[in-house]
Amino acid sequence: MNHTYDTEDLIAALATPWGKSALAVIRTSGRDSIDKIAGIFRGRKKLTELPGYSLAYGTLADGDSPVDEVMLAVYRSPKSYTGEDMVEIFCHGSLPGIKSILELLHKCGFRDAQPGEFTLRSFLNGKVDLTRAEAVQEIVSAGSRQSQSLALSRLSGSVSRQIDAAKQMLADVLAAVEIQLDYAEDEADPDAHVDMDKLDQTLDILKKLSATYHVGKLYKEGIRVALAGKTNAGKSALFNMFLKEERSIVSDCRGTTRDYIESSVDIGGIPAVLIDTAGLRVSDDPVETEGIRRSQNIIENSDIVLYLVDSQSGLSDEDRHFLEKYPDSIPLWNKIDMGASAAPAGFISVSAVTGAGFDELQAAIVGKAAGGHSFEAGEAVIDSQRQKELIDRAADAVGKVIMAVAQNVPLDVVAVDLEDGMNALGELTGEVTSADILENMFSHFCVGK
Amino acid sequence: MDFDAIVIGGGHAGIEAGLALSRLGFNTLFITQNIDTIGKLSCNPAVGGLSKGNMVREIDALGGEMAHLIDHTMIQFRILNRSRGPAVQAPRAQADKFAYSALAKYTLEHQKDLHLFQDTVTDFILSSDGYSIQGVITERNMRFTARAVVLTTGTFMEGKIFIGKYWKVSGRLGEPAAEGLGVSLRRMGFDVGRLKTGTPARVKRSSLDYSKMEMQPGDDEMLQFSFFGEKVQRPKVPCWITYTNEKTHEIIRANFHQSPLFSGMIVGLGPRYCPSIEDKVKRFPDRERHQIFVEPEGLDSEEMYLNGISSSLPEEVQNQFLHTLPGLEHVEVVRPGYAVEYDYLNPIQLYPSLMTKRLKGLFIAGQTNGTSGYEEAGCQGLMAGINAAMYLQGKKPLVLSRTEAYIGVLIDDLVTMGTKEPYRMFTSRAEHRLSLRHDTADLRLLEKGYEAGLVTEEVHSQFLEKKDKIDEIKELLSQRHLGAKELAACEKEAFNESLRRHTGKTFDQIIRDPEVSLEQLLNIDPSIGEGVRKDWLQQIELDIKYDGYIARQERQNSRIEKMERMVIPEGFDYDSVESLSAESCMKFKQVLPATLGQASRISGVRTSDIAVLMIHLGKKNGSAAE
Repeated sequence: MNHTYDTEDLIAALATPWGKSALAVIRTSGRDSIDKIAGIFRGRKKLTELPGYSLAYGTLADGDSPVDEVMLAVYRSPKSYTGEDMVEIFCHGSLPGIKSILELLHKCGFRDAQPGEFTLRSFLNGKVDLTRAEAVQEIVSAGSRQSQSLALSRLSGSVSRQIDAAKQMLADVLAAVEIQLDYAEDEADPDAHVDMDKLDQTLDILKKLSATYHVGKLYKEGIRVALAGKTNAGKSALFNMFLKEERSIVSDCRGTTRDYIESSVDIGGIPAVLIDTAGLRVSDDPVETEGIRRSQNIIENSDIVLYLVDSQSGLSDEDRHFLEKYPDSIPLWNKIDMGASAAPAGFISVSAVTGAGFDELQAAIVGKAAGGHSFEAGEAVIDSQRQKELIDRAADAVGKVIMAVAQNVPLDVVAVDLEDGMNALGELTGEVTSADILENMFSHFCVGK
Repeated sequence: MDFDAIVIGGGHAGIEAGLALSRLGFNTLFITQNIDTIGKLSCNPAVGGLSKGNMVREIDALGGEMAHLIDHTMIQFRILNRSRGPAVQAPRAQADKFAYSALAKYTLEHQKDLHLFQDTVTDFILSSDGYSIQGVITERNMRFTARAVVLTTGTFMEGKIFIGKYWKVSGRLGEPAAEGLGVSLRRMGFDVGRLKTGTPARVKRSSLDYSKMEMQPGDDEMLQFSFFGEKVQRPKVPCWITYTNEKTHEIIRANFHQSPLFSGMIVGLGPRYCPSIEDKVKRFPDRERHQIFVEPEGLDSEEMYLNGISSSLPEEVQNQFLHTLPGLEHVEVVRPGYAVEYDYLNPIQLYPSLMTKRLKGLFIAGQTNGTSGYEEAGCQGLMAGINAAMYLQGKKPLVLSRTEAYIGVLIDDLVTMGTKEPYRMFTSRAEHRLSLRHDTADLRLLEKGYEAGLVTEEVHSQFLEKKDKIDEIKELLSQRHLGAKELAACEKEAFNESLRRHTGKTFDQIIRDPEVSLEQLLNIDPSIGEGVRKDWLQQIELDIKYDGYIARQERQNSRIEKMERMVIPEGFDYDSVESLSAESCMKFKQVLPATLGQASRISGVRTSDIAVLMIHLGKKNGSAAE
């Protein structure tokens, strides 16, 4: 079945290139797109009452928490690019920002648009002419070919093995259910029953896979690591240690790094953006004060904070204060090469000069980034939102099946959820047709009068 | 032209096709090899079953005959799968085979504009350009002309039966095959293949020991397949159950080498869902026993049908293993089991109207299209008959969608994917089976049957009355609230326990609770359902209970419907679509899908090619599709 180009769905996609820029535009389209976005928009104007071709300024918010300040352009059907109701979201061009808006959109029912899908809709709604349609045709066929091969390559061997295993178990259960639905009580194979063990195992695999998304995302999208600490705690030296090149200005004069410097590094295989912040201290210098304000901003927007303490000067109130405020940060006991006292509990002893403790530090960063998810190289890890959504949908369906069976819900209804689960997994690794299920039925069960 | 239409074959497809054409006013010749075997139930003496019972009722809703035939000849009735959910429940009836066949013949004989004639068709008359059918030529060299021909030959076309090493050209045991027709079709360029099916032995009723078998009675209440047919009182007869055992399996195993199935004598593929006993023993060696049903062939017949033990092993082997079954120790075989191999036409060569792509005016229905089962045959016969009539009038064919009928699923599957083994309907073939309940067939299809001209004014007005009544009751249920007082009034009765938590809600909300039945609520307010037929009330209850699930499926339906509405014009030039993959292009050209929806179901066609096609269709139509 052709779900890919379903014109009933709400679709969204970043219209500007996927990269850091001053401004980004996210395009959305679909029959209820304005209503849906009105639900997450906080602004003076009421989106649902705006006529086409108007702008609205405000905030996109996930419940009470604001996500980004945006400008929305509202288009009313049929006067829009696709001919449907559309909203274009002008937002800040930071990748995490764009991502959180896209995630918010997914949450309220949008899905990622396929390559060429906006233009396809536009054509279907009679908005673009023949020549452009020919061009879309190219895009669509090229795009889908590419995404098909991408989809295949993206599923690493072990992920697809696990999904196949889950799918196979689900197919077995479905076959057992279908046998009972397709053969009368008196002629169905008495061995056909819903195998709860298989369902539990399937759910287990799916839940575990879904949990690896976090880890997969790390590898794909990377993490932001901020270096913080009082001035002269050795942040720039550590920064350089990571970079293995002298870039940040390292000097003994406090407050040399007034603004922040960031660089892409690799920490234990995870792509990371390392940000060296200005030293945190109260200063009269307005430039430096601004720098400190920004540092705080960076710290709050980072996945990991490394907090350096100069072992020579010991733990100050200021340090304690910071660590209390950001208890998730990794505290480092720096400059141990100069002969330091024992590190306080929870600190990692390092030397940005000799490299002592650097391996331990990297391991700590990876461990923290994985957020408690243990993982090893080669373990099945999923890394796309789409994969996660489909796996979650399948897990959700299997969960419902388990509950329904426990509550003695009639099998014809149970089968609806089972099929849902199968379809979700089918979208990941290739469709399961009713012919496949029948095949499974007849190879597993002895039926027929 | 001698006739408007000619129907070839007197089986379940032919009966429906002949009646549909003549009832729609077309002068129709009905040719069959033997007038006395019209409507024979060649295999099991039962009609209906899961999904099949639904199809019988769909035939009825469209104005077909099968439901009436079984209603008047049933000798046992059951609703199957009561425990497994209403969407997959279905009626099945044991038939008196002889009464069924006799009633079928009687019905045809008394049909105005229908002319029965005994002969065997061996060839076709074509128009001078070779693209249209003009009539038929028979074995006795009679020539009949007509603009439409419906071919329903069942297992008779080049049929061959096998029992051990014995084989004979036959359509049924003791009945000659229709020779020549398959050769003619091959000559005309049709893709003709071979399929196989089998049937078990018939044994003498008085030679069985019923004390050693389990009795299997039918339901107390005998319901009817027909929605508005007259109520008939029918006798009830039980079936019996016995089992094979290790001894049986041993005998069968020792004689595998004598089976024409395993020796390669039979080339046609058989149905996996209905395997012969030798197949079951071979494929499931660990199984200790297989269930066998002993079913009466008719009230006045001494023959009993052994359901579940079809075989084409040599007669002496069959005899030997049948004697090992409890109750069959002294069994006397009246007719042996046998396998039959026959010609079929790959149905991919048909349009959804069941007309062949190669020859205008030639319609094919039933087992000839690779299906198995009386019900599957009946459905196709009816649709082929209706569409032959449409063709004669130059009207658009009646094509049912997958979302509205099992018939739609059946025909769409056949013409889109073809079949390599005998095709039987399963509920799992229907993506939307929750909405294809047997009890809603009239609501789904009766108007279409009425528009086509097959449903009588009388039935139609009864139907409208029913529809109004159902709407009225649903409206009442949505307005009626459950008051705390009336709950208290019947507090003592235990069944109100589950109702307590629903105080204040409307009745139709309460029915959604799986633990509450409509009956409970009608006990509180009997005025709502007063004098309403029980099956109507049940329909209302199921509609409400399944509402949420059906809504879920209906949203999916609307998506499919959208693709279904995008028509691919006849003669569409797939080669002109540049970016279509070669593989898909070939498949499209073979199937010639009528709609984009059908195109998307062709196995192995890429999503991107469907998108490309979608764009081209919009272009071709001058304006974009919606």
